[in-house]
Amino acid sequence: MIEELEQIKESALQKIKESDSTDFLEQIRVEFLGKKGKITEVLKKLGSLSPEERPKIGNIANEIKNIITNNIQQQYQVVLEKEFQKKIEQEQIDITLPGRTYGNGHMHVINQVMNEITSIFIQMGFQVASGPEVETEYYNFESLNTPEDHPARDVHDTFYIKPGVVLRTHTSPVQMRVMEKTKPPVAVIVPGRVYRVDNDASHSPMFNQMEGLLVDEDITFADLKGTLMYFVHNFFGKDTAVRFRPHYFPFTEPSAEMDISCTVCKGKGCRVCKQSGWLEILGCGMVHPKVFQYAGYDNEKYQGYAFGFGIDRMAMLKFAIPSINLLFENNIKFLEQF
Amino acid sequence: MKISLNWLKEYCNLPVSFKELAEQMTMLGIEIESIEEPGKEIENIFVGKILDIQQHPQADKLVVCKTDIGKGEPLQIICGAKNMKVGDKVPTAIDGATLPGGFKITRRKMRGIESFGMMCSGAELKVEEDSEGLLILHPDMPIGEDIKKVLGLDDIIFEIEITPNRGDWASYIGLARELSAYYNVPLTLPKIEFIEEEKTVSSVSSVTIECPDYCPRYSGRVIQNVRISSSPDWLARKLMSAGQRPINNIVDITNFVLLETGHPLHAFDLDKLNENRIVVRLAKDGEEIRTLDGELRTLNSNQMIIADAIKPQALAGIMGGADSEVDNGTVNVFLESAYFDPVSIRRTARHHNLLTEAAQHFQRGADLEMVVWALNRATALIQELAGGEVLKGVLDEYPKKIERKTVKLRYKRTEKRTGVDIDKNFQKSTMTKLGFTIKDENEEEVFFTVPSWRHDVSLEEDLIEEIARFYGYDKIPNTIPKIRQSGAVFDTTFKKTHRIRELLVHKGFTECYSWTFSNPDIMKQLKFSEDYLNMVFLQNPLSKNLSTLRTTIIPNLLTTAQKNHLEDTLSVFEIGPVFIPDVKNLLPNEPQKIGILISGIAHPRLWCYDRRQYDFFDLKGVIEDILNELQITYRVQRLEFPLFHSGQSMRITNQNDELGIVGKISPKIAHELEINENTYISELNLEKIFKIISKKKLYKTISEFPSTSRDLSILVKRTLPVSDIFISLKSIGEGILQKIELFDVYTGEQVPKDKKSVALGFTFCSEERTLTDSEIDAVMKQIIEKLQKQFDAQIR
Ligand SMILES: [Zn+2]
Repeated sequence: MIEELEQIKESALQKIKESDSTDFLEQIRVEFLGKKGKITEVLKKLGSLSPEERPKIGNIANEIKNIITNNIQQQYQVVLEKEFQKKIEQEQIDITLPGRTYGNGHMHVINQVMNEITSIFIQMGFQVASGPEVETEYYNFESLNTPEDHPARDVHDTFYIKPGVVLRTHTSPVQMRVMEKTKPPVAVIVPGRVYRVDNDASHSPMFNQMEGLLVDEDITFADLKGTLMYFVHNFFGKDTAVRFRPHYFPFTEPSAEMDISCTVCKGKGCRVCKQSGWLEILGCGMVHPKVFQYAGYDNEKYQGYAFGFGIDRMAMLKFAIPSINLLFENNIKFLEQF
Repeated sequence: MKISLNWLKEYCNLPVSFKELAEQMTMLGIEIESIEEPGKEIENIFVGKILDIQQHPQADKLVVCKTDIGKGEPLQIICGAKNMKVGDKVPTAIDGATLPGGFKITRRKMRGIESFGMMCSGAELKVEEDSEGLLILHPDMPIGEDIKKVLGLDDIIFEIEITPNRGDWASYIGLARELSAYYNVPLTLPKIEFIEEEKTVSSVSSVTIECPDYCPRYSGRVIQNVRISSSPDWLARKLMSAGQRPINNIVDITNFVLLETGHPLHAFDLDKLNENRIVVRLAKDGEEIRTLDGELRTLNSNQMIIADAIKPQALAGIMGGADSEVDNGTVNVFLESAYFDPVSIRRTARHHNLLTEAAQHFQRGADLEMVVWALNRATALIQELAGGEVLKGVLDEYPKKIERKTVKLRYKRTEKRTGVDIDKNFQKSTMTKLGFTIKDENEEEVFFTVPSWRHDVSLEEDLIEEIARFYGYDKIPNTIPKIRQSGAVFDTTFKKTHRIRELLVHKGFTECYSWTFSNPDIMKQLKFSEDYLNMVFLQNPLSKNLSTLRTTIIPNLLTTAQKNHLEDTLSVFEIGPVFIPDVKNLLPNEPQKIGILISGIAHPRLWCYDRRQYDFFDLKGVIEDILNELQITYRVQRLEFPLFHSGQSMRITNQNDELGIVGKISPKIAHELEINENTYISELNLEKIFKIISKKKLYKTISEFPSTSRDLSILVKRTLPVSDIFISLKSIGEGILQKIELFDVYTGEQVPKDKKSVALGFTFCSEERTLTDSEIDAVMKQIIEKLQKQFDAQIR
């Protein structure tokens, strides 16, 4: 029996040595160590041996069993490693092929800019307000201290809908709608479409503005300057110079226009800035007492500032877009650039 | 408005360079559009006198001249011009001279004879648009003088833009007044001197004002026996520097005084006025006047005219009448200087679409106290330049005195508004320098009387602006305010809209942004129903194509598809308002909508993809994702919509309210628009959708126990909507049926013609225990029985 066991061991070890797959090793394990395996068959015959021989043979059989098990385990590691190697060799690909993609979508450049600007002001504590695009003359002009015969109406080439109703020429009417709804403090920004009768290379009959209004007890012109400076530095970069010039708007007093150093030539003078080094981007001022009067605010108690600028112009400056009309033509080759 | 620096300096001595001046004007609110230096490049061009002209022996079209430039020998110059004669003075460029544009003049041979320079035309010096021949200078010009000086080219021309509130700046004196105040230098006004006759003006003419509200003041003088001629060089050149063309001395003088004072004057030919008198009145309805531009204009009773005893002779403050125009035969002149009500001028000018120079000045408000000064200034110039006898006295009707306003300034208020403590004395002196006079004052406040030229000042804030301007906006600090909110909320959709925008962009969609205009004719072509044709119309549209406001975004999407028809795939969307008239309200409703369009192949053309075209379910899936993201429950129904393919279109509803539509473009319309037939469009009403987002997302327990799946394949009638199966199984499963998946739908050879095979996967799970097979079998049995009973389903 010992001989028989030795033979089994030899043949098992030989087979293990020659095996080259995990499947085959499993077969070997079943063949020798399984419930119906060769070792088991031998052990079944133990009963026919003398009680003295039994433990001896039993020990030898167990020893052989262990040797085979160990060998299988060792070989298993070797074969598995080889199999991994083989798998890797078979699964080589050309990693330079382009990836499987649907391509990214593109938010419209106006909305990208609108969001960026909006979040700068929201961070500062403003909230978004909105109002109708078809607006009454009262909100668009009259309540903003621009009565019918005011020369300032000349610069607003207005689309008329019916008597007393226009397409809003600026986002400023929302100022009044907001003030009518609440007492100060008020801190809103109003992004939105506005309309003017104008259509050429540098004008679009529909464009986008952002309005800002801050009213409280102690808001000053210095606060207006500081707020807008903060905005410009965040949006255009810290190295952008800012200047405020006196200007005129019927609904603010004092009024100002804000220029930034030309984004193209950095203030040296070029065609874009008409050699001045400055780009006019924004109108602003302290809310006019007449506007407060329309809103029912006490001009002695409250004061505040308002500003308004073109979002399209900001986008054009930021991305060096040469014509406003590109923004509304919906040419995919344009939209996909941003 | 063009401003010559040399001319401006006649009224005040500005102690700064033109660049500093330009900078400072900008910072005072006088916007500078451009700065021109007309003589910048001109060098070595002098006044020369032609001493001799001889035919060039080698060339018919050239002459050889000898020109004296006051230095050394006369120069021999070859010239091609014909208009000069011996003795004429002309601009002469010597060897080494530079013309505008940097063009260099050097001595050279022309057909064998040497030329030592060039005699110039007006065009070559850029003082005329185009020239025929040389610029012949005035005989008084000194030989050898620099041409820049002689022609006024050593000047700076500012093109300035004046805001509507500062009409007083629209003149040389007005600007000089502002700048002399800022620089603290005196304002020098020209001396007015002329001789009056014994005979009085009232003996030959009179002025009657019938409408004092429209014309508070009207003054006039009569000058007899004037000689109409062309203006002298200095006057002509001044008008030209302002971009005006000289006409004759009288007209030029009125234009000059307008530029100088900002006060429009008008000269009538006195002999052409019936009864030689002036009546300022409102026109009669239907009355007519032929204005100087040759137009016959019909007037109405809101329009002010200057009439004689019988008929209109001028559209007051806007344009003179042709019948009383000053011409070469004019001998006696009636000179008008008046103050007209700005609103009346504005209305009449707009009505006749005649926003003349004069009208622009009057509509901003002229200076009531400048009326007679301007009249006298022009009178003096007329006597000087056109001779004539000035009759004694001014006809000065001033029926409606306009009180000057008084405005209070509290010194503390300036700091409160600007945020910077500005010295009291600075505040006070700024205002007095600007011509405001102190009516009353105490420690805390001062009352100013507003000067007659400042129509823009009536409030304390207006004074604060003046002080801030002179203090310098750039010196006011930049501070960050503490921002507070009242608690009121003014917008609830901005963030939600942005969330949807981001969702679609993440899915690979590209966002469009269209004009919100529409064209009802195109809407009809696209077979939109009457509902959509109830639109907001513009009274003054830019074109028929932009004549209404859109009621749907779909036409914008189709235009985008047309524009980009060469792309093999398109997936775009647009979010924005549509405009729905509301009979109950003045303003229309403006619901936000989102339009989505996909078209062409479903994947980019790439090695790893097939060339599958988009289909209905690609778009439906996108819509489902949006609605699921917002946790909106909805149902779908078939939709009849003429723009869409009738077999592939649906309506999305919530509680029977339509949230939106989805469909394939009808093949006919795709053909007409020449766009891809595989185009799918959806439009959702975001306003409605946002209203029904209410459910908050709440955590649901994730079961610790394993889930079990069972598949079931059934045969049902081919026409049965699969959604019916889902609805019928809704209440089954006693809380352990977690999910039903539809993993296959099959029609074809393997099943009878009128049937389809539907394969469903059921997932069971409990939060409390591991489910037993028998529990699940029981539910499956219920499901099968229900499907058999309700849909006659056969189990496969
Ligand atoms: Zn530049």
